Amino acid sequence: MILESYRQAAQTTIESLPGDSGDWLIPQRQAAVKQMLDLGIPHARQETWRYTSVDGLLSKELRPNHRVSDRPVERLDIAPLEEPVAARLVFVDGSYSPELSTGGSQRGYRLGSLRSAMAAGDQSVLRSVASLSGTGDHLFAAMNLACLQDGAVIQLSPGVVIEQPVELLHITTNRKGRHGQQIRHLIELDTDASVKLIERYLSVDDDSDYFNNIVCEISLAEGAEFRHERVQQESDAAYHLCRIHIDLGRNASYRGVTAALGGAWSRTELYNRFSGEGAAFEVDGLYAAGEGQLCDFHLKVDHAVPNCRSREAFKGVLHGAGRAVFDGLIQVKADSQKSEAHLHNANLMLSSRAEVDTKPQLVILADDVQCSHGTSVGQLDEQALFYLRSRGIDGHQARRILCLGFAGEILDRFATVSLREQIENDLLQRMRF
Amino acid sequence: MALSDSSVDGIIAGGYSEGFVTHIESDTLPPGLDESVIRTISSLKAEPEWMLERRLQAYRHWQGLEEPGWAQIRHPAIDFQSISYYSSPRKKPQLESLDEVDPELLATYEKLGIPLDEQKALAGVAVDAVFDSVSVATTFRETLAEAGVIFCSMSEAIREYPELVQTYMGSVVPYKDNYFAALNSAVFSDGTFVYIPKGVTCPMELSTYFRINEALTGQFERTLIIAEESSQVSYLEGCTAPMRDENQLHAAVVELVAMADAKIKYSTVQNWYPGDSEGRGGIYNFVTKRGDCRGDRSHISWTQVETGSAVTWKYPSCILRGDDSVGEFYSVAVTKGHQQADTGTKMIHIGSNSRSTILSKGISAMQGSNAYRGLVRIAAKAENARNHTQCDSLLIGDRCAAHTFPYIEVKNPSAQVEHEATTSKVSEDQLFYCRQRGLSEEDAVSMIINGFCKEVFNELPMEFAVEAQKLLAVSLEGAVG
Repeated sequence: MILESYRQAAQTTIESLPGDSGDWLIPQRQAAVKQMLDLGIPHARQETWRYTSVDGLLSKELRPNHRVSDRPVERLDIAPLEEPVAARLVFVDGSYSPELSTGGSQRGYRLGSLRSAMAAGDQSVLRSVASLSGTGDHLFAAMNLACLQDGAVIQLSPGVVIEQPVELLHITTNRKGRHGQQIRHLIELDTDASVKLIERYLSVDDDSDYFNNIVCEISLAEGAEFRHERVQQESDAAYHLCRIHIDLGRNASYRGVTAALGGAWSRTELYNRFSGEGAAFEVDGLYAAGEGQLCDFHLKVDHAVPNCRSREAFKGVLHGAGRAVFDGLIQVKADSQKSEAHLHNANLMLSSRAEVDTKPQLVILADDVQCSHGTSVGQLDEQALFYLRSRGIDGHQARRILCLGFAGEILDRFATVSLREQIENDLLQRMRF
Repeated sequence: MALSDSSVDGIIAGGYSEGFVTHIESDTLPPGLDESVIRTISSLKAEPEWMLERRLQAYRHWQGLEEPGWAQIRHPAIDFQSISYYSSPRKKPQLESLDEVDPELLATYEKLGIPLDEQKALAGVAVDAVFDSVSVATTFRETLAEAGVIFCSMSEAIREYPELVQTYMGSVVPYKDNYFAALNSAVFSDGTFVYIPKGVTCPMELSTYFRINEALTGQFERTLIIAEESSQVSYLEGCTAPMRDENQLHAAVVELVAMADAKIKYSTVQNWYPGDSEGRGGIYNFVTKRGDCRGDRSHISWTQVETGSAVTWKYPSCILRGDDSVGEFYSVAVTKGHQQADTGTKMIHIGSNSRSTILSKGISAMQGSNAYRGLVRIAAKAENARNHTQCDSLLIGDRCAAHTFPYIEVKNPSAQVEHEATTSKVSEDQLFYCRQRGLSEEDAVSMIINGFCKEVFNELPMEFAVEAQKLLAVSLEGAVG
């Protein structure tokens, strides 16, 4: 029944596309609709959905949202960054807003809306869509392609370095109704190009009920460098699913930091593939889940070629009845010698009703490798608390200090200072500190 | 570390020294499985009606199940209709002493070095030898009987101690537990039953050798160990099978029950035929082992050294129900040639202050594939539970594989759970250090590997530790250096 309603919604979306102009990827979308039906609804017997139920997500109809926001523009300028940016692309309810955005394409690079590229029938962009993600290997990934609404296109020519960061700001204004926002970003850095991206997800109201379904494809050519700061601060009732595909060419480097604080249900899937030797992949993550929140991270790092390095460090803070799921897979293919891969996951449980399910995995098919993973679940150290109390700091303050100390290691990876401060404040507020 | 071709050949040529076949006339059921086979097994063993009912119930459940496919193992589909489900050495009149046992049978044990005769028995090991499916000789019964310990075959226990069997069998591993447990519950042929009464420390280490002899027979033992309050027992299980071309299925179920303050130590050295250098033949070993720490301060410890079998699928687990209960799992798994192992443990913490330790060492050589799969679950009411897990993998050769799949589920904030895993080859630095001090490369590697496994070997009873080290050396002979 639900699948049928999804199919209908997807068909309606496809049929409502302006058929007379542009290239709307109709065959790909149709294939994705078929894929949705073939894959069906994820269930707990599937390993990647073992701990993450999608029941809440399915309980309401998911209609694509094409309504333009009627909120006044100044309300939408929430939590601005203090640091200067090269460009700021703003997406309101999943659609690009030229009025709110600043900066754009320059000589050597292209920054713009995927929908505009589709309308213009720009093949240089459209050929790349879904080249990393494929049609999608679960229902929602396929749904993203089928109902694809808008997103950012970022393309850098060889050797181009954008000094200041590019910001992608997503704001949801919906107050009522469960809207599905199907967003897709396409990022391509040519040889030796370099840029830093700040990606943010915010909601105007704290109780907006919507579903952000995002796919992000990042391909880095030889020697390209990509810095990525990603913050998810959706409303407390929102559903957020983001799938990030990263492909690293020879000597390319990806360094990312991500924070997931909001949403009733959020899941980030990070797929990394090394396709050239000498590349490096590094990602740090912080997640917090409190009352009624589920936060899920799925990582898959694929050492498909020799001589690559990867490092992942994720920390979680669980309070109230918060739940966290962490699944990190490091895979070293046969003959990928001299691979180095390290994964770490630490969880801090602050409440008796919180729950953590963590599953780091190693699949190693080569012998000359250095791989490790470690994971821990624990509470605040009584001795550290006692130490602080004995110095006249009250219990509440002491716990605050220790929690911030725990999260600080990841927060410090955010190079954008005002963003780091915002995340820290949001974290403290959510934890009632 | 470079492996020379000749050294790899060395392992293959090393062969399987336990691969001989004993020719004894045996009663074997024709291959195939249906209700009538189960009725025949039950009637051959003169079982009471309730046991037959249990078997049939399990069989009907099994028919509705699908073979699990989640493990990191690959093998041709098992044809359950081509297996014979019962094989027993030709029935003999009741034996009074070892002299009456078929000499060829005794010679088989002799080759395996089982201390069955009086002299060897002085080593302090009581042996209930399972030859294919029926226990043929039991020693030390009297000493054990004096202490009140029951140590007998499962068939005997079903006849002699039906109330104990009815109460405990299936209480730890119910027939609905999984595919192979259901199959075992339906067709189990024999096994070992141990009962340690309240306050008794078993006067000797108990040991059973399992032996799969008849071609094309599956071995489905069922082991049940019950340790009453404040009792203690150490049980050793060793396994060997002769060389055969077809894959033979082994689906055992082991259940341990530890009451308050009781301690059970279960050690296994598994050295079944791993198949030839092309990956033909070898034992499929699908085992369900689980211990239930029912009482407060109870303690269950699993130690295993797995060097044999073509495919190993085995997760000795502990349910830590009692407060302050302790679960331990120590494992060395070696895979070489085309061997595949997917093994690990489950530690289910339910009682407060329950503690568990997991130490898993995997060694993969040649095309061997070794996976650790473990679950640590801290239930919401398990206050101050503690787990430490360490999984290390050592890789020898560029075609082998090592995998780690730990699952950690925590529902109580007072828990402290740690998991660490590393994967690497023998470090060049360590090798260089040893070589520099005049050790040959082979000795150096063997020393490093022994050091790698030492923490696990330390947990084995002495006789087994020696055997385990010998096995490891034989297994990896020539693979290194």
